[in-house]
This record gives sequence, structure tokens and C-alpha cells, in this order.
Amino acid sequence: MSVVADAPAGEGAPTGGAPGSDNPGNPIRSRNRERLLEFTERYALVVLFIATLLFFSVWSKTSSTFPHAQNIKNVLGNEAVTGILALAIMIPLVCGEFDFSVGNTAGLTQVLCAGFMARLGMPVVLAVLIPIGIGGFIGLANGNTVARVGVNSLIVTLGVSSVLLGIVEWYTGGQSIINHISQSLVNLGAGQWLGLPKTIYYLAVVALIVHYMLEHTPFGRYLYSIGSNRDAARLVGLPVERYVLLAFTMSGALAGVAGVLLVAYNGTGSPQVGTIVDTLQALAAAYLGATAIKPGRFNVLGTMIAIFFLAYTVTGLSLAGVADWINNVFDGGALFVAVLVSTIIGRRRAGAG
Amino acid sequence: MSGAGGPGDPAVSDQAAPAEHVVPTAGSPPGVALRVDHLSKTFPGTRALDDVSFEVRSGEIHALVGGNGSGKSTLIKILAGVYHGDAGGSIAVGDTTVAADHTTPAKARALGLHFVHQNPGVFPALSVAENMVIGHGFNTRPGGSIRWRALRRQTQALLDRYEIQVRPEALVRSLRPAERAMVAIARALQDQEGQHTGVLVLDEPTASLPRAEVVRLMGALNRFAAAGQTILFVSHRLDEVIDTASQATVLRDGKLAGTLVGDDITEGRLIELIAGRALDHMYPVMPPLASDEVVLEAKGLTGGPLHGVDFQLRQGEVLGVAGLLGSGRSELLKMIFGAYPIRSGTLEFQGRRVKLRDIGDAMDLGIAYVPEDRGGEAAFLDQTLADNVVASSISNYWRGLWLRNRAMDTDARDIIHQYFIRASSERQQMGTLSGGNQQKVIVARWLSRNPKVLLLDEPTQGVDVNARAEIYQLIRNAVRQGCSVLLVTSDFEEMSHVADRAIVLRGGRVGAELRGADIEAVRLTELAFSTQEVAS
Repeated sequence: MSVVADAPAGEGAPTGGAPGSDNPGNPIRSRNRERLLEFTERYALVVLFIATLLFFSVWSKTSSTFPHAQNIKNVLGNEAVTGILALAIMIPLVCGEFDFSVGNTAGLTQVLCAGFMARLGMPVVLAVLIPIGIGGFIGLANGNTVARVGVNSLIVTLGVSSVLLGIVEWYTGGQSIINHISQSLVNLGAGQWLGLPKTIYYLAVVALIVHYMLEHTPFGRYLYSIGSNRDAARLVGLPVERYVLLAFTMSGALAGVAGVLLVAYNGTGSPQVGTIVDTLQALAAAYLGATAIKPGRFNVLGTMIAIFFLAYTVTGLSLAGVADWINNVFDGGALFVAVLVSTIIGRRRAGAG
Repeated sequence: MSGAGGPGDPAVSDQAAPAEHVVPTAGSPPGVALRVDHLSKTFPGTRALDDVSFEVRSGEIHALVGGNGSGKSTLIKILAGVYHGDAGGSIAVGDTTVAADHTTPAKARALGLHFVHQNPGVFPALSVAENMVIGHGFNTRPGGSIRWRALRRQTQALLDRYEIQVRPEALVRSLRPAERAMVAIARALQDQEGQHTGVLVLDEPTASLPRAEVVRLMGALNRFAAAGQTILFVSHRLDEVIDTASQATVLRDGKLAGTLVGDDITEGRLIELIAGRALDHMYPVMPPLASDEVVLEAKGLTGGPLHGVDFQLRQGEVLGVAGLLGSGRSELLKMIFGAYPIRSGTLEFQGRRVKLRDIGDAMDLGIAYVPEDRGGEAAFLDQTLADNVVASSISNYWRGLWLRNRAMDTDARDIIHQYFIRASSERQQMGTLSGGNQQKVIVARWLSRNPKVLLLDEPTQGVDVNARAEIYQLIRNAVRQGCSVLLVTSDFEEMSHVADRAIVLRGGRVGAELRGADIEAVRLTELAFSTQEVAS
């Protein structure tokens, strides 16, 4: 006999399959649970956001100030620049690279835009376009070092951000550039259109463009593929280096846009604005955004929700009279939690088999 | 509860073998090293193991076999104490019995179960001696400095005991793959101190080893067993089970499908038990060559380990490429795919001389490539099945400045159907599919482009029997439609059944060529090893 089956099957030993073993669990119920879990994952941040808004609207310490139109609008107007920076940092993140220089790139392009007008008397169009171009060039240089030479992007861009900070100090001598800022530029950035701060419209346009690029063009898909498995991406024929280079260039140019928008919004070029702090806020928003809407994947809508969730929470806390240092703790804590959650989601998704 | 008898599996008629061992509480009977009794494991929603019982006799090599999802890994994890089994089951080693729902890694160690996992967990940058003690703590002098000389002596003794021909101070990185696995085994067994009371459990030790290395490792296992070591090993490779094991236990769908002994361990019987039905045509009947037209010709291809490779590939032909690891077989495929620099020599495609600047050029010609390392070079594990399938043709869906996601999903659904991929939907995450289904997705990614030349590097490695048969079917269908295939495989049995012609790479050149019925596993093995002798 070729089969010595189940040798120890003996007296009193239950060898039959347990009752119901053919139909384990209840497939419909577990399918529903799966759906519920997915729904929760997608919209947890949205629900949390709404709950936060409601909380600050009814909390006795903030109910008189928080739910007012002026406060809501202020936050919207202030966060547009951080929003654009979050989109800028997101593009390299999608293909698995860090760009820690976005905040300082915005800082540099900001003082350059102001300085070109104030010191060189440059026409507005050039004072806007040249800094954006310089931002793109900084991204190109980052991308070239990362993609072609293969240096770790975190180190490269962290180093570059410090260099940029130094250049800003040298260029401004530590003083804000206040005079001779073109009024037509300020008119485009300050004030309202249709009852909303003008800057929010720029953010909306940039967000739509980035969303379109990531979700509805092959280029976006390629970036996600590169982020998922670089070698596999190369072996389905993608020019990986070129795309990583492009991602950094876009990131730099968007940081340039953020810098110019800062001048238009504030009417000055300040060496205190546009630093690593802004980079970290952007990073926190991008990671937090990756836990929502399309969990486990950096996405524009999630990032936008995250930006405003963070901003309104910080505003609510400061209206309640909480000390300023809480802001840094909160942003850092949000980044920490966001990375934690998105790592857990990612691990569950990739390793569930 | 039912009495004695089979678990009602109709595929195996002799399930109700006479029972001799009936005392499940007093350890394992004499002559039996490990006894698994009524082991079950229920996960929410599934029963991964269903009342499995079997015995491993002292000093034998016992194979544990089954398709993906058959419950092998679950069983091993319960033995290791990583999972708890359901209440009612038990595990006995020697005269100690542990209830299945109370297993822990510490208890597994106390029982004398020694594990070496698929990825052997050695540290390439450290020496053999350092690897031996890394999990045990270094033997130090007061003050914390390491007693290196004593360590080297102990390691040498251990290496001698297991007849492993490496030096204690050699870096593990510099060892051959089989030697690395042996070092991992020696490390697992080092506390056994001479007597062979425990059981060595190997989880797919050969999954990532090339054929020649498998032969070395299996030789070593035979030596250990001859010295009285009991070995339980999990494997996908039926030939090594047939060659090495004296008993083979087969699981299917979490149940015991049967146990084969000695000469009854044949490929046919194993496949029957693994698949639950006789796979009378595990290997496909390949269509005869229809055309003499040469699609691809290499002349003097040189680069990396290759020094002038010549061959012709005809339309609809499957050309096998045999050779040992390092013979340049994988590099040859990459060269033809534009992914490895060609130093000199020429490639002609359909009679025209071509120069491949990059992978895009090769893809434009209609060349497709399924790499050997699925996880590292082919799969996007955190993306959906649809994303993975269309990865090589996304630009086709870019119409009117908009990516047609819906068309992509529709096509992916069709492909899932056509290519026998088992998934809940096209949105399922790639990483949650079984290895066999992932491999079918990769094959589908390229075959759905209707390539003229398909380059396959170890297409059925780490894939269960059913998926293998399906992949062969896919290859055959492609060949029928005129696709030509270059097949690199270490499984010479596979090559003998699938290839029309085979070349053997030796010293960077084509050292031999076999045709039709001459392509035999034995002959290929001979040629591969004679290559080895020539090289050394």
C-alpha cells in the first residue's frame, strides 16, 4: 500500500473533521466587516476633522471666537502656502524620495522675489517667474544628485536646506524686505475673491493640477510604481532616473510658487519665513493625508484635509489660550502619529497574505 | 465525535490504516521522534489546519509537502510556538507531550525542536564563528571582551561535527548558498551536544538555492540523518523529496491527504495527493515546430560572465538555457531585454541587426521578460492586481489627456479570467495573493502584450503544483500563437518537458546543445556538472 494514512488514528481519537469545518466563519459577515473597516480607514480623518470643528465651536473657551467667519477665513488664507508646500513634498514621496528642502526653497524664492523688485526694480512678471525657475533648478540639482548619483535623498535635501537658509541670511542681512514690493503683486495675493481669501484659489488650482497629474496621467502611475518597487519599475521599461529627476524638479518649482505667493500674501520678503519648520508641517500633512481617502497611498485630497485639520486644531488650541510651544509639539506629534498609522496600514496591506 | 477511521477524504482510500499507537498522552512511542496528534488551527473565517496527525520516525528524513495554502506553514509555526493550535491537539517529542494550545517558542526549544527558516537568518557581514554565537551571547572575559580563541575552537568543532568545509573566520558573505544554509543548520543544532534526540525542522531550505547547491545541501542532510539526526523538511521541489525523504506527509486544504513511504514516493503519487486529482498532464504537450524562421539570433554576445554566446531562436520554439548559477544564464536574458550592457557581439531580430539602448527598445521590438526574483524585480506588492497586470502597458490607456482607469479594470478582469488567476477582484492587493497567483499575474502582464519573444527566468520557482501546470499551459498557448520562448530553469525535468531544444552555458559560451528527445534531465545534469569540473 502506498499510503500509510494518518498513522496514529486510533481508539477514541477523533479523526473526523470538526462540525462545520467545511464552511468556516460566515463569509457575508466577514465581507461586511471588511467593508466597514475599509470605510473607517478612508474617512476616519474626515470624521475627526469635523468633530474637531464642532468641539471648538461649542467648547466654552473657544465658542465665542472659533466659529466666526473671520477666523475660518484667516486660517484658510494662512494655510494656502503650507498646502502648496505639502503638495510639493508629496510628489517625491510618491516615488519613495524625501525632499526636505521645500520649506527653505520657498524661503529663498520669497526673498529673491521681493529683492528682485525692491533692489533691481525688475518687472513683476520676471520677479515672479525667475524665482519659480530657481526653485525648479534647486529641485533639479537635488534630483540629479539623488537619481543619477544615487545619494540618499534625505541627507542631500537636508544639507541643501541648510545651504539655502544661509543664502537667505546673506541676501537679506537678516532684515525683511518691505519697501518697493509691487502693489499689483500684492493685489493678487492679499484680500478676497467671492468672500474667500485669494490665496485659497491658488492652492485649489495647484491641488487640482497635482491631483490630475498623479491620478490621471501615466506619469503619476509611474511615480507610484517607482515608489512601490524601483527595480520592478525599471524592468517594465520605465526610465526611473528621469522620472525621479522630474519629480524633484516639480517639487522645487512648486516650492518656488509657494515662495512667490508668500510675497503676494504678506507684502514682504522675510528671512524668518520659509524654513525647516514649514517642511515638517508639509511632511506631517502628506503623511497624515496618506492615512485617509486612499489609505496607504499619498493622495492630494487626503493631504488637503490633513492640512486644514492640523491648522484648525492649532488655531482652536491657541484661541483657548494654550501656550505657543504647543504648536510645535502638536505638529511633531501629528507627524509621528501619521507615520505610525500609515506604516501599520501599509504593513497590513502588503503582508496580509 | 467519530470513532477510529479516516477523516472522510474520498481522494485517499487507505486513510483508515491500522492504528498501532494509541497513547497520545505519554510522549511519542519508541522509534518515533516527533508525533503530531489531532492538530487543528482555526483563524477567524478559515480553518487552516484540520485534525492533522502524523509521526516522524527517529533518524529519518521526513518531508512535509503541499500546495500553497495547504497548511504546511501553519503547522510549522505551531511547532515553533509562533501560533497556538486549537485545544485538543498535541505535539510529542521523545517522552514529553505539549498541548497544542500551549505551545511557545521556549517550549519548542525545550522539546528539542530546532528550526531553520526559509531565509536562513545568517548575517552575511559577520564571520561563521560570530554567526554561531550571535543569538546565544558571546563568551566573554570579565570586563566584556570576547574570548575569540575559544569561540574559534568551538566553531571549528561544530563545523567538523557536521562536516562543513569552511573556516570559522570566513565571512558568511563569501560562502556558497548551500554552505550558508549548512551554517544555519549547524547553528540551530549546536546545543544538541552530540546526541540526536531532537528534531531538525527545515522550512523550504532549498527555495532560493540553485540546483547544484540543492544537491550539496541534500547530501549534507543525508549525512546528518545517517548519523541519527531526525529531520522534518518542508519543500516545493518534488524531485528532492523523492531523492531524499524516507517518508512524505502531504497536506491539502489543511487536512492530511496521506503519507507516502520509501519507494512509493513518486512524482505521480505526490502530485495526486497535493492536487487532489491525478494531473495526468502536469507538463503540457507542446505543439510541434511550425516554422523555420529565425526570430532572434545572437552572435558572439559578450559581457559580464558571457564570452561569446551564439544561438538561434526560431518562431514558436521553446529554447531552454541550462547552466549553473553564475554561468551567465540570467545575464543572457537581461542582455536580450536591454537591461544588461553588451560589451561586444550582435543581436539580430527577425533578420535585422538591432542595438538595444534600453528596456524600452526591447519592449518596442516585442520582447518580454519575466525575472527570476518575483518579489524584488517584478511584483508591486502594495499595489492592486490591476495595477500589476497593466504595469507594462499603462500608456495604452492614456487617451484624450485622461487615464482610462475603467478600461484598465475591465481589461484586468478579462486577464484574471484568461490567465487562471484566482483573486477576489481586480482591486485585490498583489501582496495578498499566493505565490503561484502572483507569478501568473507577472506572466499575464507580459503575455497580454502579445510578445514575439518571451524571456522566462525560473518561471515556476516557489510555485505550487497546480499553478505550475497552469503556467505551462500559458506558455503553450503563447507558443501556439507564434511566440518564441527562451526558458532559463534549474528544474531540468521541467526543461526536458517544455523545451524543443536546449543549450548549456559553459565557461561563458554555449558548451552543448540538445534537441527533442535528447533533452533529458539526467543528460542535462551531467552536462551542467561537467561544466562545473571544467570550470574548477
